[in-house]
Amino acid sequence: MQPEHKILACVDQSQFADYVADYAAWAATRMGAPLEFLHILHRHPEVSIGNDHSGAIGFGAQETLLTELSEQDEARSRDAREQGRLFLNRLRQRAIAAGVEAPDVRQRHGALEQTLVEQAEGVRLFVLGRRGESAETTQRDLGRNVEQMVRALHRPILAVTEGFQEPRRAMVAFDGKAVTRKGVEMIASSPLFRDLPVHLLMSGKQRKDAAKQLDWARTRLEAAGIEAPTALVPGDAERVIARYAKDQDIDLLIMGAYAHSPLRSLLFGSKTSDLLRSAKIPTLLLR
Amino acid sequence: MNSLKQDWLSNVRNDLLAGLAVALALIPEAIAFSIIAGVDPKVGLYASFCIATVIAFTGGRPGMISAATGAMAVLMVTLVKDHGLQYLLAATLLTGVLQIIAGWLNLAVLMRFVSRSVITGFVNALAILIFMAQLPELIGMSWQVYAVVAAGLVIIYGFPYLTKAIPSPLVTIVLLTIAAIFFGLDIRTVGDMGDLPDSLPVFLLPEVPLNLETLQIILPFSATMAMVGLLESMMTAAIVDDLTDSPSNKRRECVGQGIANIASGCVGGMAGCAMIGQSVINVKSGGRGRLSTLSAGLFLLIMVVFLGDWVAQIPMAALVAVMIMVSIGTFNWASIWNLRSNPKSFSTEMIITVVVVVATHDLAQGVLAGVLVTGFFFAHKVGQVLYVGSQSEDEGRMRSYSVVGQVFFASAERFVSAFDFKEVIETVRIDVSRAHFWDITAVTALDKVVIKFRREGTEVEVIGLNQASATMVDRFAVHDKPDAVEGLMGDH
Repeated sequence: MQPEHKILACVDQSQFADYVADYAAWAATRMGAPLEFLHILHRHPEVSIGNDHSGAIGFGAQETLLTELSEQDEARSRDAREQGRLFLNRLRQRAIAAGVEAPDVRQRHGALEQTLVEQAEGVRLFVLGRRGESAETTQRDLGRNVEQMVRALHRPILAVTEGFQEPRRAMVAFDGKAVTRKGVEMIASSPLFRDLPVHLLMSGKQRKDAAKQLDWARTRLEAAGIEAPTALVPGDAERVIARYAKDQDIDLLIMGAYAHSPLRSLLFGSKTSDLLRSAKIPTLLLR
Repeated sequence: MNSLKQDWLSNVRNDLLAGLAVALALIPEAIAFSIIAGVDPKVGLYASFCIATVIAFTGGRPGMISAATGAMAVLMVTLVKDHGLQYLLAATLLTGVLQIIAGWLNLAVLMRFVSRSVITGFVNALAILIFMAQLPELIGMSWQVYAVVAAGLVIIYGFPYLTKAIPSPLVTIVLLTIAAIFFGLDIRTVGDMGDLPDSLPVFLLPEVPLNLETLQIILPFSATMAMVGLLESMMTAAIVDDLTDSPSNKRRECVGQGIANIASGCVGGMAGCAMIGQSVINVKSGGRGRLSTLSAGLFLLIMVVFLGDWVAQIPMAALVAVMIMVSIGTFNWASIWNLRSNPKSFSTEMIITVVVVVATHDLAQGVLAGVLVTGFFFAHKVGQVLYVGSQSEDEGRMRSYSVVGQVFFASAERFVSAFDFKEVIETVRIDVSRAHFWDITAVTALDKVVIKFRREGTEVEVIGLNQASATMVDRFAVHDKPDAVEGLMGDH
């Protein structure tokens, strides 16, 4: 076991859990890394479950109530734990069926972001659903946690969408900046992309050295034995990337994430968030 | 935004139902204590509505109920008697201002000096005050009153066995009112007690002369009310924290209580604070969010303003039954059952708090007495943690004393008397490395010991003063400053 190289699949009890499990299993088998499923339990003290509306208080009302409420909480926690355990075991079976050796499972109490930061030590790749339990009912495309989490975690994150399809063609949204160049290095050295064509797409405002940058990236990838077709398409990055992905039948988007400060993205919007929102395919975010 | 939604909308159904149950328990307390304070019931009812709705927004503890309370009402009696309602309203405004200042100064941290025993005493005293407030409605009444109260208690505690879906105090009040009208019982009703609210509250400033004299009249009352209000609010907040296993913002609660009281004073209401009994009812009925407090206030207003004619028909005895329930539910019965098994100091502190409150009708004085007694007991206990041993060394030329434990005002005397000054010896070594000198009294005691030995012609060596003790000794001690020694000797 190599705990320092694990893939952490963060799941909640939404429809995404299955796809998260599938992609995590795919990455784990390709990278030969151990896989762990993490389920976070969050208690909600602001919600009551009592159905006693009698409003009558008698002898030792306070003590009785305290005992009663802590027993309820205890039972609830135990239920949530048991339910989560069964849920995790189902995902575990799913990963085993997909060929992962001995995936591990873990449940933790706490808030999502904080828990993940605490767990980040020794994680090589996070896999999480683009939308979580809370977002399922809303119109928003991007689970509200994703940006916060991507910023807090300094590890690659695979944000999956609905449905699983084994990636056959990946694409890098390449802008020649330091974050993406570092990303290309990571791709070249990672077993995840062995035997997988990785397209290099450059779009947006054209820089003078674009062709040179693109050449560098292709050489770097080809040296690692990765087939790397390149394309230089001027135009609005969001639209170009979407169209290219569709035309070329790309099923995994790779990009550098949140190079700018949170303040800047609040004021001017963040390219990462825009792309994440518009991309219909799983996205690997590199930090 | 997130927590705003969480505070208000995460528990809507249960919050509303709990608010209804609480509103029913607010009415009798507001009416009963308005009468105790010597004002019309509408003063208490407007106050309850206003405080509950305002604190829902400004408070720091979601799910806690604040309104016109008995604890505050008993403090106003002489003010109302001597100077009238307008001065009470002015005092209410000033109370709010003082509470806001207390919140800014973060005085809530002082709550840590109020021990569990004093809190228990406070709660018990409160329950007794609530019960005593019902006595005027009970003593010397006709048998019908007793029958109605008894029937009320039976319904309140019996009805939940049938169904817990609706508040049993509501059932009690409705059934007993119908019965009283149907049988034409000759008993006092709410309408007999004074004016009820006949309109929505309107904004009005108290009509008092704005001068120093007015301030002199209201300040003592306002200061006491501000203190009692914050004490009960902080205790209630701690109770709700425990019950719901969630944190609260005590500082915000202090300021919030102040704002609520100012608002109450501006609509012709009296000062109030958080209520232990009603907050427990709220949590028990499923109330958790701010909506429960707000809905309690709104239901109260709807009931008394729009159903005022019906409210006036409610027999006082039915409300007495509800208040007896609140009193029973507030009282900490375990502290009585365990009176013997609890530590004696605990029970003593608790009883002293209760006795002082019941005697003075002032919870602030009770808490002060309780805190003082707790302090005495604590100082006495820690003062026991002192040991002075000695051994002769160097073939009888030297005696080495070792001091272990706490030296401070309560143990200084024991410290001094542990040394044998009459012993004829060359050198005395006092090892204080395992002792702590807390205050000037302790340092003076060490000085006294050193000087006494010197007067007998004995060399004294003090070793091992730890850092904290060393600073105390450096700042206050005289034995290592020759000039000052003269001064000390002069006293002898």
